[in-house]
Amino acid sequence: MSLSRPGSRARGALPHPDVRGHGEVNRDVLKMLSRPGKGWWRLFAIAATGVLVFLGSWGYQIYEGIGVSGLNSPVGWGVYITTFVFWVGIAHSGTLISAILFLFRAPWRQSIYRAAEAMTVFAVMTAGLFPLIHVGRVWHAYWLIPYPNSRFLWPNFKSPLVWDVFAVTTYFTVSAVFFFLGTIPDLAAARDKARGLRRRFYRVISLGWQGTDRQWHHFGKAYIFLAALATPLVLSVHSVVSWDFAMSIVPGWHATIFAPYFVAGAIFSGVAMVITLVVPLRKVFGLEAYLTVRHFDMMARLCLLTSLIVLYAYLSEFFMAWYSGEEIERTAFWNRLFGDYWWASWTMLTCNGLVPIMLWFRRVRHSIPALFVISIFINIGMWFERYVIVVTSLHHEYEPFAWGIYQPSIVEIGILLGSFCWFGFWFLLFTRLLPPVAIQELKEVIPPAFKGRRSSPVGSGAVAAPGVASPAGKEVTL
Amino acid sequence: MAAGMERRDFLKVVGVGGAGATVAGCSTGEVEKLLPYVTHPEEITPGVATWYTTACGGCEAGCGMWARTREGRVVKLEGNPNHPVSQGALCSVGHASLQHLYNPDRHPGPLVREGDRFRSGGWDEAERFLASKIDPETRVLFLTGRCGPTLDRLFDEFTAAVNGTRVRYLPGSNSPALAAAAIVYGADAPSLGDIGAARTLISFGDDFTEGTGSVEGGRGLARSNALAPDGSKGRFVYVGPRLSATGMNADEWVPVRPGTEALLALGMASAIATDPEAAGSWAPLLRQHTPATTAAATGVEEADIRELAHRFASEGPSLALGPGAGGSHRRATQAHVAVALLNHVAGAAGGTVRVGSGPNPTGSYGEMADAVEAMAAGAVDVVLVHGINPVYEMPRSSGFREAFEQVPFKASFAQARDETSALADLVLPDRHFLESWGDTNPRAGIRALQQPVMQPVPHFDSKQTGDVLLSVAAHLGSDPGASTFFDYLREAYRAEAGEGDFDARWREYLRSGVVEIDADPDPEDTADSAAAPALMPMGAVDFTPARFDEGGDLTLLVHPSPRLGSGEHANQPWLQELPDPASKITWHSWLEINPHTAEERGLGDGDIVSVASAHGTVEVPVWLYPGIREDAVALALGGGHTAMGRWADGNGVNALDLLPSDTDELSGAFAATSVTVTVTPTGSRRALATVSGSDDDFDRPIAPAVALADLGHAEEHEDEHHGELDELQGLGGFVPVPAEDGAPTAFPLEGSRHGPYENSHESEPRWAMAIDLDKCTGCSACVTACQAENNVPWVGEEQLLGGREMSWIRLERYYKQVDATRAGPLDVRFLPMLCQHCGNAPCEPVCPVYATYHTPDGLNAQIYNRCVGTRYCANNCPYKVRVFNWLRYADGVPEPMNWQWNPDVTVRGNGVMEKCSFCVQRIREAENRAALEEGRPVRDGEVVPACQQSCAAEAIVFGNIRDPESRVARVTDDERTYRVLDEFINTQPAVSYLKKVTHHAASSGAGHAP
Repeated sequence: MSLSRPGSRARGALPHPDVRGHGEVNRDVLKMLSRPGKGWWRLFAIAATGVLVFLGSWGYQIYEGIGVSGLNSPVGWGVYITTFVFWVGIAHSGTLISAILFLFRAPWRQSIYRAAEAMTVFAVMTAGLFPLIHVGRVWHAYWLIPYPNSRFLWPNFKSPLVWDVFAVTTYFTVSAVFFFLGTIPDLAAARDKARGLRRRFYRVISLGWQGTDRQWHHFGKAYIFLAALATPLVLSVHSVVSWDFAMSIVPGWHATIFAPYFVAGAIFSGVAMVITLVVPLRKVFGLEAYLTVRHFDMMARLCLLTSLIVLYAYLSEFFMAWYSGEEIERTAFWNRLFGDYWWASWTMLTCNGLVPIMLWFRRVRHSIPALFVISIFINIGMWFERYVIVVTSLHHEYEPFAWGIYQPSIVEIGILLGSFCWFGFWFLLFTRLLPPVAIQELKEVIPPAFKGRRSSPVGSGAVAAPGVASPAGKEVTL
Repeated sequence: MAAGMERRDFLKVVGVGGAGATVAGCSTGEVEKLLPYVTHPEEITPGVATWYTTACGGCEAGCGMWARTREGRVVKLEGNPNHPVSQGALCSVGHASLQHLYNPDRHPGPLVREGDRFRSGGWDEAERFLASKIDPETRVLFLTGRCGPTLDRLFDEFTAAVNGTRVRYLPGSNSPALAAAAIVYGADAPSLGDIGAARTLISFGDDFTEGTGSVEGGRGLARSNALAPDGSKGRFVYVGPRLSATGMNADEWVPVRPGTEALLALGMASAIATDPEAAGSWAPLLRQHTPATTAAATGVEEADIRELAHRFASEGPSLALGPGAGGSHRRATQAHVAVALLNHVAGAAGGTVRVGSGPNPTGSYGEMADAVEAMAAGAVDVVLVHGINPVYEMPRSSGFREAFEQVPFKASFAQARDETSALADLVLPDRHFLESWGDTNPRAGIRALQQPVMQPVPHFDSKQTGDVLLSVAAHLGSDPGASTFFDYLREAYRAEAGEGDFDARWREYLRSGVVEIDADPDPEDTADSAAAPALMPMGAVDFTPARFDEGGDLTLLVHPSPRLGSGEHANQPWLQELPDPASKITWHSWLEINPHTAEERGLGDGDIVSVASAHGTVEVPVWLYPGIREDAVALALGGGHTAMGRWADGNGVNALDLLPSDTDELSGAFAATSVTVTVTPTGSRRALATVSGSDDDFDRPIAPAVALADLGHAEEHEDEHHGELDELQGLGGFVPVPAEDGAPTAFPLEGSRHGPYENSHESEPRWAMAIDLDKCTGCSACVTACQAENNVPWVGEEQLLGGREMSWIRLERYYKQVDATRAGPLDVRFLPMLCQHCGNAPCEPVCPVYATYHTPDGLNAQIYNRCVGTRYCANNCPYKVRVFNWLRYADGVPEPMNWQWNPDVTVRGNGVMEKCSFCVQRIREAENRAALEEGRPVRDGEVVPACQQSCAAEAIVFGNIRDPESRVARVTDDERTYRVLDEFINTQPAVSYLKKVTHHAASSGAGHAP
């Protein structure tokens, strides 16, 4: 790849041939924070309504009892846990793209990592609600948190659900901090451009960023530390989530492959979700110059790789079930393909195994509409993957007399769809309040202005890349 | 007493009632002395239960009962071990009579009709009103159902005093048996079969482990089938077109053509009686009905008939039972006659068959049909109804309803709403048998007193019918000789008792729950019964197969429901939600149809069909059942109520709507199986409210069986299979292992002294259970007993359809071998599945908050208060015995039904998991009693969980398995012992099952062992 063109500073950065200077970056990105158009408001209204549906359904469920869902015996986990795992999975690629690719100096992350990180934070926020939605007595859910109490009652540290609490809260904390840290220079840029209340808002949350050498130095250090901290979490959190299943003795859950299988699946779904979100973002805000086909090509390759891992995991599960010679295990997997929930399994296999095969073709990888469609397929397929794991395993366990069928209720559907709105609600706010594309990192990869030539007023200000910082100790634009 | 009396007031009443354990018997304000069984009469300690004896009024069997009362409320019923019928056990219907007592649909008080509605009245007004309707010219008709002998006498006296006519009737009472006993032996009572004594048992459609008399029948079957010390085993053959829950226990099933049981029995008798003259004047009959001649009519091959006959004659003692209520067709008496002959030629008469000792039926349908005619003809001015609900319980074609409506004055003594009292002009609600005095005399030589075990439930202003009649008689100017029924009853017993201290004797009656007045309770002296009784000369009995009304292509088999009877128990939610022992369906009706027949017609489970006979049509979902002949369909009675109450109304259909008002010619019994029907799909379908996820166990090691021939050799095979596993686990879990140092057991093993076992001490017991599947009859009494003991709520049809049954015991039923096309071996397995209290419980480590944990004495405990409701434990339970409170089910229990709740057990709230606790409250109570009163350890057998207590088959044993002398340890030490799924997943359950023993080769359930 001809990534390293003359004039490009960062190692291996993707070129943005249409962007000529730092000023343009500021202009283009910060433009997105200006007064929103009708389309945004429409979307926001839908999302806000959905959030009301979400909260309303949940409130109704808390009042009436978890019985308003379709859950039953033997299927004690259903759409809620499916959706929990789905959102945790979505949350993966944000940190992956951001932290891991940062550590490996992957060349193509700059344009998309901000959106991906935001997606991570909001996805974990969404995911974290689902265990609460799911439990029978949410008002006692805090008992899963170890806290000193007069009765000396502690959670059961052998339970994967307690590990889950730690994994998800840790992941959320680190992701949120990492996300926030990365936005600070951009917030300062936004502050410099904004007026009135907005300006105050940015001033507070940009934590007094001035772009001094010293600040950049600390920023760089902190960022790399957090990236290093977040990287193992990417692997750990979904491994822990997978152990929610793998630690049990349920046929179809109890498998050693679960941790890598879930991590690969999470990256797969996460990258797909990034594509799904970034394509409209790029279109609406005219960011074609920053989110190039090359970026999408890279994401598509990552999708393809993880799709192959996931497909391998599926096949190896079936093979192992057959190879075990264990009737109950075999029946569980036979039932997965040909039982009551065959449609879910075949949806999963089609969306996650067959459809991504198209990504082998460069033409497909370079077609934004095709990628968008494929990414939606992958999102659906990955939701069904979790549904298959959760529901088909539970409904056909050891005791044939206790087999049963589960059908999600209207409340569960409301909460499932509501959760997308809840996620969208935050994401829409994000696109208006925070720079959705990382200004400062983009600037790193754009050739600096020639000496002597006037750089744009903003570009020479707070958000200049390291090395072209303005004089220390002064808020330039105040 | 005002309705809405509070508990505090109630306690006050009990407190001022004098000597503590006294309960006011009648509203006259008199106080009679009641004696608790165990506790000293002086004591009522809040928090400590008081037990009273009484006798069950749920059916005619008249089991003796113990009623457990807490603070003046009866909360649980158990069988009285002293009583010869119950011998300590109790069936589901008996348990559920508590829900009749506390039923909110009981009549609130006397009701007087005003136009279309009722107005409540006072008792004095109501009694005077009734008296005013009766004068010497009034033609009174008194329709009565089930009642005790003394009340029966009072009814007779009352009827005589008002110059009335009395008609006794109970649906499903076995009058063909009586008619046959008269024809064959000239006896005035039916023959009684000693099921437990038979080694070869053939039931020609007698469903003796269901419904009336199921306690005795179930125990009998378990004893009859039991493995003898010599390694032999009883054999049970079921003959009938449909396999009932009783039939599912059979070793062989002979799917005889409907209505031809008599021919098969004659064919067998003919094959046995090498010298037909042994049958006396009946010999020509036997010569005429050889196996060869009967084979074609019955649909059973000649060789099979001969084989059956051979075994019946040679593998004695043997016993054949005539059809019960489930086999009542137009030739039911003939079937009984033929069965009696079969017993006679096989030498069972006088042995396993005691002639003239059986329970007498309560009237017959024929008399009832005459009464309908009289009413329709306007020959009745006043009709009184007690103990039956004929508007519902007689077919529409009988015209009862129309005739009844014509009667100018109709009074009902129904204690709760029903279709008949809804039409009455005056309702005089009777008391429940747990609130009233009475007696039972189920058959000769067995008598027991019923005493009120609590004050009348204050929500209902009820009065015992005996008292009402005495009072009405007084108003009419006659002198019945007693002012209350209590006096009447006591005087009757005083008269019989003769010399001596009657008061002491009376107290003893009440204490023990059994009355023995006759020096020789059995009229058939043992010496007499040893000799075969003489046969009557053969009369003109027509033995051609029963006729079924034309009009359809499938014979409709109508039988009482094992749960709802003929419909009288339909308003008790425990029974509605109790899965039918055969179909496992709850709440609604279903039509049983053979899968082949269904396939031909394109029908599947839940398809709603229109079932039409010449007399009516009902729409009902089908259930595909391999246990029914291809030319028949079956429908149970008990559904389709319209005015009985909130749980009965609208559930299912009434099979009587399809039937003609026709009888068995010889006995006058109602012929329930009398029509052919057409079955046409309606195109719609519904989900069956079943608890069965699969009828096939896929040969998983869940309910394995062992062939009789393999017993004694099984250990060799065991070693082959499990040697390696044993080595790895050191025999793990609950097997008491002989220790090397000479100690009797080394338990728990070193390897399990960690985690939850860390603090377990050798001195602590290890509670465990053994369930003998060879004895279990699948009757499901344990399920209801558990619900009653542990405050397990019912959830209703809608929730059940969503798969949310709350029952702590799931009585699994798997078909292994069911062939409806020819006579042959049958293998249906029952398995009561409850929390296995695993030593290595999968549910425990996954709970994030320790809501489920292991107690040092081996219980898998569930702490409701700590439960957050993640449901991971239920997912990880391979036995699926954990149930979740999805909604506030307990809130659905209306006042005063909630009076039944056991105060020793938490009523669970919304969002928590629950499951079998091994009746931990009983364990702790026994431990506390042992420690406090005597400072000793708990004795073996002192802790009896509710399921074991109610098990008539004595299949369940509970105790401390660490004690090698305990019964559970001894029972567990058997080559048949296995633990469900343990060899696969090493859960080390505390519940050991003993494999069912089959006469034919059996699948061990280890077909998939690695």
